[in-house]
Parts: sequence; structure tokens; C-alpha cells
Amino acid sequence: MIQATNDFVIKFANVNGSGSASANELFAKAILRMGVPVSPRNIFPSNIQGLPTWYEVRVSEAGHLGRRGGVDLMVAMNPQTWATDVAEIESGGYLFYDSTKPLPPSAFREDIQVIGMPLTMLCVKHYNDPRQRQLLKNVLYLGGLSTLLGIEPDVVEKLLAEQYQGKPQLAQPNIDAFRLGRQWAADNLQPIGLKVRRADNVGDRIFVDGNTAAGLGCVYGGATVCAWYPITPSTSVAEAFEKYARKFRTTAEGEKKYAIVQAEDEIASIGMVVGAGWNGSRAFTATSGPGVSLMTEFIGLAHFAEIPATIINVQRGGPSTGMPTRTQQADVLACAYASHGDTKHVLLFPEDPFEAFEQSAAALDLADRLQTPVFVMLDLDIGMNQRLCKPFAWDEQRQYDRGKVLDFEELESGRPFGRYRDVDGDGIPFRTYPGTHPKRGAFFTRGTTKNVDAGYSERGPDYLENVHRLVRKFVTARGLVPQPVVTSARQPTRVGVLFYGSTSPAMHESAQRLASEGLGIDLMRIRAYPFPESVRDFVLAHDHVFLVEQNRDAQLRTLLINEYGLNPAHIQPILHYDGTPITARFISRAIRDHLDRIADLEGRAA
Amino acid sequence: MVCVGAGPASLTVARDLAALGYEVIVYDGEAKAGGFIRTQIPRFRLPESVIDEEVGYIMNLGVEFRSGQRIESMRELLTQGHDAIFVGCGAPRGRDLDIPGRVEAAAHIHIGIDWLASVSFGHIHQVGRRVIVLGGGNTAMDCCRSARRMGGESVTVVVRSGFDEMKASPWEKEDAQHEGIPIRNYLVPVAFIHIEGQLCAMQFQKVRPEIDANGRRQLLPTGEPDVEIDCDEVLIAVGQENAFPWIERETGIEFDRWGLPKLDPKTHQSTVPKVFFGGDAAFGPKNIIWAVAHGHEAAVSIDKMLNGEDIQDRPLPATVMISQKMGIHEWSYGNDITNAARNKVPWAPAALTLNNIKVEVELGFDHDLAMKEAERCLNCDVQTVFTLDKCIECDACVDICPMDCISFVANGEEADLRQRLTAPALNLTQDLYVADGLKTNRAMVKDEDLCLHCGLCAERCPTGAWDMQKFLLEMTHAGPGCRSGAGLPLKVAA
Amino acid sequence: MTYLAKPKLHHPSLKPNKVGFTRRDYEGRISTLCAGCGHDSISASIIQACWELDIEPHRVAKLSGIGCSSKTPDYFLGQSHGFNTVHGRMPSVLTGAYLANSELLYMGVSGDGDSASIGIGQFVHCMRRGVNMVYIVENNGVYGLTKGQFSATADAGSKSKKGVVNTDSPIDLVSLALQLGASYVARSFSGDKTQLVPLIKAAIHHRGAAFIDVISPCVAFNNHAGSTKSYDYVREHNDSVNFLDVIEHRNPIEATQPDDGSLIEVAQHDGSVLRLRKTDPDYDPRDRIGAMNFIARHQAQGEVVTGLLYVDPDARDFHQHLGTVETPLNKLGTADLCPGGTALDKLNASLR
Repeated sequence: MIQATNDFVIKFANVNGSGSASANELFAKAILRMGVPVSPRNIFPSNIQGLPTWYEVRVSEAGHLGRRGGVDLMVAMNPQTWATDVAEIESGGYLFYDSTKPLPPSAFREDIQVIGMPLTMLCVKHYNDPRQRQLLKNVLYLGGLSTLLGIEPDVVEKLLAEQYQGKPQLAQPNIDAFRLGRQWAADNLQPIGLKVRRADNVGDRIFVDGNTAAGLGCVYGGATVCAWYPITPSTSVAEAFEKYARKFRTTAEGEKKYAIVQAEDEIASIGMVVGAGWNGSRAFTATSGPGVSLMTEFIGLAHFAEIPATIINVQRGGPSTGMPTRTQQADVLACAYASHGDTKHVLLFPEDPFEAFEQSAAALDLADRLQTPVFVMLDLDIGMNQRLCKPFAWDEQRQYDRGKVLDFEELESGRPFGRYRDVDGDGIPFRTYPGTHPKRGAFFTRGTTKNVDAGYSERGPDYLENVHRLVRKFVTARGLVPQPVVTSARQPTRVGVLFYGSTSPAMHESAQRLASEGLGIDLMRIRAYPFPESVRDFVLAHDHVFLVEQNRDAQLRTLLINEYGLNPAHIQPILHYDGTPITARFISRAIRDHLDRIADLEGRAA
Repeated sequence: MVCVGAGPASLTVARDLAALGYEVIVYDGEAKAGGFIRTQIPRFRLPESVIDEEVGYIMNLGVEFRSGQRIESMRELLTQGHDAIFVGCGAPRGRDLDIPGRVEAAAHIHIGIDWLASVSFGHIHQVGRRVIVLGGGNTAMDCCRSARRMGGESVTVVVRSGFDEMKASPWEKEDAQHEGIPIRNYLVPVAFIHIEGQLCAMQFQKVRPEIDANGRRQLLPTGEPDVEIDCDEVLIAVGQENAFPWIERETGIEFDRWGLPKLDPKTHQSTVPKVFFGGDAAFGPKNIIWAVAHGHEAAVSIDKMLNGEDIQDRPLPATVMISQKMGIHEWSYGNDITNAARNKVPWAPAALTLNNIKVEVELGFDHDLAMKEAERCLNCDVQTVFTLDKCIECDACVDICPMDCISFVANGEEADLRQRLTAPALNLTQDLYVADGLKTNRAMVKDEDLCLHCGLCAERCPTGAWDMQKFLLEMTHAGPGCRSGAGLPLKVAA
Repeated sequence: MTYLAKPKLHHPSLKPNKVGFTRRDYEGRISTLCAGCGHDSISASIIQACWELDIEPHRVAKLSGIGCSSKTPDYFLGQSHGFNTVHGRMPSVLTGAYLANSELLYMGVSGDGDSASIGIGQFVHCMRRGVNMVYIVENNGVYGLTKGQFSATADAGSKSKKGVVNTDSPIDLVSLALQLGASYVARSFSGDKTQLVPLIKAAIHHRGAAFIDVISPCVAFNNHAGSTKSYDYVREHNDSVNFLDVIEHRNPIEATQPDDGSLIEVAQHDGSVLRLRKTDPDYDPRDRIGAMNFIARHQAQGEVVTGLLYVDPDARDFHQHLGTVETPLNKLGTADLCPGGTALDKLNASLR
């Protein structure tokens, strides 16, 4: 049987709507409070009640936060998925189940240890209310597992007290159920090989999901208008914005220093964002792939008419409705080139909630500075899963960068103004807000071609002047966006790996493992498009370059090859796109396989 | 036929009739034809070469010019058997000013028009240092500017009435002021002040205008002390008087109480049917343009009379309206309105012109400037023409008109209507253009006074109810066209 | 259309208003619409209304979608910011702009294709929300820029220029706006400025979603016999329910008219008074359901009901619904908006 302390994977198989989520989250948080890093992942259906849902927790004292792959302990609470759940357990692993109903031996496996706990029976015995029976069953198994794994009960009880703060009528039954389960396990179950032991590897890190972080980032970044339309997995961004804005931006009189509108669709959402941005408010929307598709006409307008807009795209599995509750990084091209005609947009790729916070706030500055749409390319893996990350940070001296805006005094002083004139040579023109000055600075905004003074024009030279300036602006953007982060191997190496976004923890774990196996690789985490030149240089500096992505078509690789005219053969894609988060095992194997194949070819050639 | 005098009126008659084959004899006391044009218009305004050229065109039509022959007797002329006589001898006598000192200081006081002639013929070469020019007409302007060129260091124009009431053309006043000549107004001459015939100043009474009970404007003394203006020489240019001492009363030619011949204003015929008058000789002093017009009319009369026709029965001038529309927004005239200010006609350098009276001052526009100036044309000949039954009352013309000229309102009494328009029609001397009876029972009313003829109303009219049409006026000339039965090629307006 | 700029010369009687602007100062670029287009008259009416109300041009934001009507904001209020957005989506952009700055006057200009077809969803929702705006639909029943296809407001049975008879039921934007909760609803005719200008002025005074449906004949494609949006048809079938006078600041001494039922006065929140002389004694524009019935009944008889059809003087607008601060959101700076580091430390602590 598997013996592991502070390094294993436990997966809860539940039925959606059974109230298991909060118990499972509490489980993860309890381990965290014991100083042991965890990374949980919700694997949930597009459904409110009845379909299967899973909660996978990786416990890793070493701090690996990516998905590991494989399950050491399966808490199988869903008869519908029983067979596959049981099959997924690593050989030598453990199966925990509700033994109220007897199951035939054929339901189990020989190579795993089965732990039965009559959860339903215990519930029926202790509780009358059917709903309460259902909810407390989850707490019962939490109790049982805490005994088996050695989770400190005080930690769990404190968490329960925090969760039901101000609701003692709920707190006590939960604590009682926890104790009941714990006691039953102590009395009836054998110890297992998996253990949690108090450690000190969490530090001051926080445990939060990316969507909450992004919503908070928009509050800190000064967004005053949020227009959105509900869509999984982005909905909680808007909800978080509203929650924090209500908390931080309500005056003593109860008036709000923000406006949030649930629009009739994504088109209206982005329309409101564009209208507010045009009128000098920082505005954002949160959406996902199908929403981006609907928004593209407006995104093209904002690009061409040069209006700031921040779009937080929490990517899910596509195309079409695709896998709404699974993760992918498959909107890269759709966002980079969103809308018809020659369009290019700024994309930011946060790796975790910390960066989701930071880059959401930065996106609002960048959108104003560059007067263009800026995408924050979250994905479901970061957005909807709590992740251990650095605490949010904010420089008290920081002032919002509102970009090149002429105010009343500047207009009054007679400073010349032409809306689309490149006065500074950086491709970024000056703009004015409506209502600034009675006589000067008014202009007409349109999606059609215009001359440098915003007058309607269909002349070729006017068109070229405009679109060439937009290219200059995009080059300027390279220097303004978050720069790539390089992690070099200890020794010089010919192997370089590019990656971005939620691939980060799996990538770092993989690099560590490969290094320990003697293969040193240089890493570059891309944090934004347009790619700074250092990305091209990194590619050219390595003989073997991998680009790890979570989509089928190697979209960022296409973008990179396009942008710098690189040789496609030089960049080997590593692609993971089944909807589950990429794992270190997957990356390591892909790198190894490819290098072996090359070595083999080179050997044969020699 | 005979023309008495070779001024612009006579030359016009000669031009019109000689070309038709009439035998025309022109008498003039001077050696060269041109009359007033040659004798009184200063050379710095009209060089002799230009007069020679233009007069030459007429004389070369076969006109017989009897120069140096002043007609002394109409009676005698009538006996010579001419079929018709045209009197275009002008109004040669300048009006004098009979106030104290006039006789004593006569040596330093000149009738302006005579003085100009003397200058023109080179009899006079200089003038006193300080000169006063009395009068506000074009002759006064010619006098002062001539004096400026002949040694007059301080030349002052003095007028009885207000500056705005002066008869001189605005541009002539401008030109004088441009040459540093002050124009002082509301000063009535009282006396020439002299010391034993040596003129030293003029005395003037200060007056102010006032409207009397009958609505007439009067000049009343202000009661302030009189004004004295020092001077060495005075030019009197307060008008011209008529004088026909050579027309004997027994010829049957009658004169009115002002000494002017009794004429039919239309035909220019005098009380002796074959004698016609034109130019300053007809109705008193006017300008050259009028003189030419008189000549044309008199020529028509003579032509008809000699063809045995009723000279009263004269065809009206022909008028034509031609649409200027070329395309959706293209017109066969330049309809773009420019806001450019008037271009000044370039002048020869003052150092040159003020030292030589024969140097022409105005150089004229060069090609580019002329084009620019022409672009300022408001195209008054192009009319907005409205066709009622085509109008759908969409308001497009009202909205586009920069001058708010067009209104669609209920018709009514003019005084009331003028106030109810898009913008009030304030110039009462300009008639309103009204088309009544639209589908909504409203009328289209256009205030023509401020129309720029920009054509935007017609450009924005979807149905062509508005059109821009060029108005052409073809005056009736002597010849077959003026005679009865002769069909005019162009449509004649009712 | 015309390509020469309208001459700057003007009538000597042209006077500045209280804020120093002449009517001509409210004009925009030269229109590129067809000669005789009703839309240009509507632009002229907007110019007149803004001049009469002494509105500083820069306090107005003009927004539109795509189409003939949506081109017009370029042709009026040249000293105002304008935004020609995307087809059918002006309402959302206007809503966003309004959220950003509650102090400006928002003028949305749209057409029947823009608002009744591609953009009907956005039309519907911005009316529901009570965005404080003047929303004008320049309604000609036809797609002009694509040369004469029927729009969704074309009446069933009306004929296209090519002779095709429309069989689809028409969408009546006025009835729709009434149903959706617009708090100011009017209909007028581009060929009747005496009616239209006061309606625009009153709409500007109104707080909340003000909608004006202006029948605006398309001279190029929909002004023929058989059309129900032609100058002739509308003039013949115009059923005007009232005449409107907008009294900006009521003189307290002024006696109200004797109440013989022929006059209705509606005080708006900003102190202005709408004085309505009834032409139809049965019509009360304060009764939403009555208005809907009246319009439906008369429309069934082929009449075009015009005038101020509904007004709710006590309407609240979207900012009031949202409970936002009085300061426009776009004037709030870092100090107003950023919760700061201390708050973030506390928040971090709660996430461990």
C-alpha cells in the first residue's frame, strides 16, 4: 500500500448539489492551516443538481501546486461514477466509501485498500431532517478522514466556527457531526499509509481563487463601471467586484462609487464598457470564450477607434459551448486577433491569483495608456480554484495612469489637439473626455477610417497613416506590458521551454524533476502579448525549444511564429487539452520523448 | 445725322448708328473726340492711350468727325437738312460760389471742372501749397487728387453735408483718403479771407443735420464759432450747371425752369421731333455710364423714327432664365461662397504717381488676383427659382440656407409676414418672393435680400422644386431688332 | 447631398443665446444624406432645441449606431463629442457613457433598422433600465444605405418602391417603449418642426428614458404612393393628440389657465413645465395604459398618432436605481477609488 506523508492526492467524487463543496474546501483548508501546501481543483459539471462533481486535492509539502495526476485516496460518494472512480485509484491506493449499502466484491479492486464507513446509517441514526442528513454526511466523512490522515481536529473545528460565524445554530451541529465521524473512524477503522503532518511550508501565502483576485484587482485598479453577463467560469469575477466594491466603495451615506450592470448579453456588456471607457471611466467586463465571440465586433471598434476596455476572459474548453466547466488556454488566437480586419490586442497571462489581481489592475492602466482593449487571459483552472499564492500587494504611492488625456487647462492653454495625431512618435495619440471644454477638444469617434483629426475619410493615405500608427502603438506596448520571467537551469543548457498562465506550477515541478534527473532546462514564462523581443531572443538562444500550452493547435506558438517570423520547426509544441489541468508528469514525459526521439534520429544519422 | 459734341453719349449714338449704315457726323470744339472723358478725367485715372484706342473703335466705323468745330447755332444746324440731330454736348459749366471774397481773390479760386480741363491740356502745371477743395462729388475727388500731384502739400476736401452723404463713389473717397487727403464735413462756406486779393483762408460755419417736421433733412448751425482753414488756392467743385446758349428758343426746342430741355424720358426726343438729347445735356450731370445708356436709347429712337416707326413702341429688353444644374451637386456657375475680403487693386508706387499726373495709379489685377477676386462674386445674376407644385415640403432648403432666407409659413399681410419668417425680412425695399398654395396651405416665402446664391437650397431639394437659373438681360439696341415685326430670338418676359 | 461646406455667413439677426452660442454654432458638418432626407430636418430640430434651451454644446454627448440616421450626429452639434458605434448597439454604449458621467446630456440617434431589427434587444433593455437620455429613432420604414429593403417598422401591406408588398407585421416602437417602461414617449414627423422641436426640448428636460419616434420619409426609397412613411401619407394620416409648449422656468405670478379640460400642465423634476393643449379631448398623456390603448385603436384605423404620448414626471433614472454617488464616476481619482494597502493586508489575512 502507498505510504506517503504530506505528498499525495485525494479526490472526492460527489453528486452536484449535495453540499459537498464546502466540506471538501474545509478539508483542503485544514491541511493548509497545518502548514502543508495543498492545491485543490474543482471538477464540476455544467449543472446545478444531480450530475457528478469532483474535488481533487493535491497535498504537497514540497509546494507543488500543479495537478499531479493519479489518485492515492478516492472518496467515492457517487454511485454514478463509481466504476471509473475506482479505476482511477493508483495501484496500492485507497478507496473510502459509504458502506451503508453492501456492495459485491466485483465493485472493488484487489490492489487497493477499501475503507468503508456507514455514513448514511450514522446520519439516519442521528438526524431527522432529510436535508440535514444529506449535508452532515459530508461533515461526517470529513471527521472520518481527519482521523485516518491525522488532521488536527482543533484546526477543523476552528474552521467550522469561522465558517458559521454568527450562526451558532449551524456551527454546533456541524462540529458535532465532525466529532461523530472522527470518533467512529477512531473506533472502527485501521490506520492507512497516507498522513498529514504539521509543517511550516505555507508561510504568509494566501488561499484564494483567481476570479476573486481579478474582481478585487479591478476594485484596486480603479474600475468604476463593470458590465457583464453571467457565463461560466467568469461569473464570480463580477460577483467579487461587486462584493469588494460594496465593501470598499460605499460612502457613509450609502452611495456607490461604482456601477455594476448585469447586461442583456455580452454584446451589451462590452458596449457599455466601450461607452464608459470613451467617456473617461475605467470599465471592464468578465466573460469567457462564447462571450468573446459575441464581443468581437465591439472589440474591433475599440481597437480601431482607440478606446480603453479591459476584458477578463476566464477561458474554458472550446469551441462553441465546448466544455464550459473544464479548463483550456484555447482563446489565445481568438482574443489576440479578435474582430475582422487587421486587429491585434494586448493579452496578459496571469499564472495564479496573485497575478490575476496584479494584472487586472495593470490592465486598467494599460488600457488607458494604450487606449485599446486589454485582455486578462485567466482560465478556469486559476479562476475557479483556490490556489496558494503570494499575498496581494499594493504600493500606497501608486497613482492610476490615465494615459494621454488633455484636460480643460491644457485645452484652454491652446495646446493643439488632433485625436489621431502621433505627436510623441509612440503611436499613442491624445484624447479628450466628452464635456471637458466648451470650444476645444471635441471630436467624432467612429469605426470607419478617419484622418488624424478624426474626420471621416476613405482615402488610402489616411487609412495607412492610421493603421501604421496602430502598429507603432503595438510595438510601444511591448515595453509596457509585464515582461517575461526567466528561470535558468543551473548549468547552461540547449533546452528552453516557454509556457504561460496556469501551466506555471506544473511546469516548475516538471523542471525540478527533470533537473533532478540530470536534464537542466531554461524556462521562460510569457506574461503578455505583444511579446517583448526577449521572447524571440530566448527562442533563438536555445537549440531545442518547447512551448507548453493547454490547447490543441498551439495557438500561442502560432502567434509567436507570426510575430517574429520564427522557424516553426524550431519550436516544439507540448499540448494538453482534454479539459483537465496540465500535469508535471505530462510535460516531463513530452520533453523526454521528444529529446529521445531527436537523439535517436541524430544517432541514426551518425 | 449729326451728333453735337463728341462725348460718351454722342459716341454711343454714333457707334450704334454708323454700324447700321447711317451717315453720322460728329461735331466737337476740341481737336480730339472723347469730350468729358478726355478733358476732365485726370490722366492718372484714365491714360490718354486708352481713350484713343476706344474712341478709335467708334471712329473707324465710318463716322465723320468734324473736330474744332463748335456748333454755335441750332437754328442753322436745323437748316442743313439732317434727318436727325443728337445733342450730347454735356453740361460744361461748373457751378460757382457767390460768397464774400470771391471776386477779390478770384486769381486763386477756380471752378474745379475748368481747372481739371486746364490741367489736362497742360495749361496749368502747379497749385498752391495749401489747397481747399469744396464739394463732395467725383469731380471734387479728381480735383483734390490732381492738386496733390501738382504741389499741393496740404489738400483738404470740405463738404457741407455729412461724409456718408457725399456723392462721390465710396472707392473714390477711399482713394483720396489713401493719398492723405482729409475730408471735413458739416462745414458751410461763409467767406474767402484774403489780404488785398491774396487768398489766405476760408471761413466755414459749423452745421448739424436735423429732420424737420416735413421729414426733410436740414442743416442747421450748431452755434459754435466758425472754422477757418488756411489756404493758398481753392477749387470749387460743387456741381455743374447747364447752359445751352447756342440753342435758340425759336427753334421750338423747349426748356424747363431749370434750363434743361423738355424730353420724353423714354425716347430722349425733344419738343422738336428730330432733335434728341443725351448725356449730361439731357437731365443734368450724371456719370458716363448713364451717358452711354442715353446714347443707346436715343439711337433706338432715331433708328425707329428714320424707319417710319412709332418711337414710343419700343421692345422691352429680352430676359432669359437658364437652369445652371449640371449634376447632383454641380452647377455651371461657381457656387462656393468664399469668406475672403475684397482684394485691393494694386497701385503704382506713390513716389511715382504723386510726382507725375500722367502715371496711372491703379495697375489693375493680375491674372491670379483677378481670379481670386472673381471667386468672391455672389452671382447676383443666378436666381433661386421655386416651382410650387414640385415641392414636397421636406424643409431641406430651410435647414440648409445659411442666411435663413427661406420660410414655409401661413401667408399673410406683408408687414406681419416679414416678422414671422425664419429670420425677419428687414430690408423693406427688397420685395419678398412668395409662392402661396402648398399642400399644407402654407406659402413658401423667400427673403431675397440676403441670399448668397450659393445654391444649397437647390442642391438639397429632392424634387427640383428649387432651381438655380442664370438671368440674362439683353437690352434693346438700334437695328432691326428694335423695329416692329422683327421677332426676337429670345423669349421676352411679360 | 452637398459637398460644399455651408457658408459661415449668416443672417444679421442671428443672436447668441444665454450661453453665448448662436444657432449656427450648434451645427455640424455638412450632411452627406440624400437631398430632402427627413433626417436632416430632425438634425435641424435638435439644433434648434439645443439653442433654445441654452445648452452648452460640450455638455452633450451624441451617440448613434450604423445607418443613415446614425450618420446624422456628425451633422449637428459639431462642438460636442460624438460616437458612431456599431450597428444596433448604440444603447449599450450610451448606457456605459452615461454610467461614466451622469452630468452630460445623452442624445442617442438611431434608425428603424438599427433599433427595431438588429438592435431591438438593446433598445428594449436601455428603455427598461431608465437610462437618462433622449433616444430618437429616425423612422423611415426602409433600409436606405443598402437601397430600399423593408425594415421591421414597415407596415404590413405597404409597398416598396419596386412594388413588393410587405407581409410582415410591423414593430411599433412607441407601443414597445410604453410597454418597456420608458417614462417619456412621443412621436412626431420630420416635416413638422413646430411639433418636433418642443418634443425634443421636453425630452431633454425629462429625467429618465425619453423616446421619440420620428417618422422621417426616405425620399430615395420610401416616398412613393403605397408607402405609409411618405410625406404625403403621414400628412394625410397624422393624428396629433396635443400641442406642447415647454415652459422652462415657470413664473410664479403667472396664473394657470382655467381648467376647462383642454389644457394639461405637467411639472418636470427640474422645474420646467410641459403645457399641453389637447387636440383630442380623450387623450391624457399621463395614463400609460390609456395611451397604449388609444395608440393601438387609432393605429388599427391607419392613423399615425403623434404628439407627447406619455410622460411620467416623477420617473427615476438608472443612476438613482443604482444608488451611485453624485460625482460623475469618471471624475473619481485614485484616492476615491483605491482601498489602499492597509485594507489589502486585512483582506490577505482573511484568506489564510
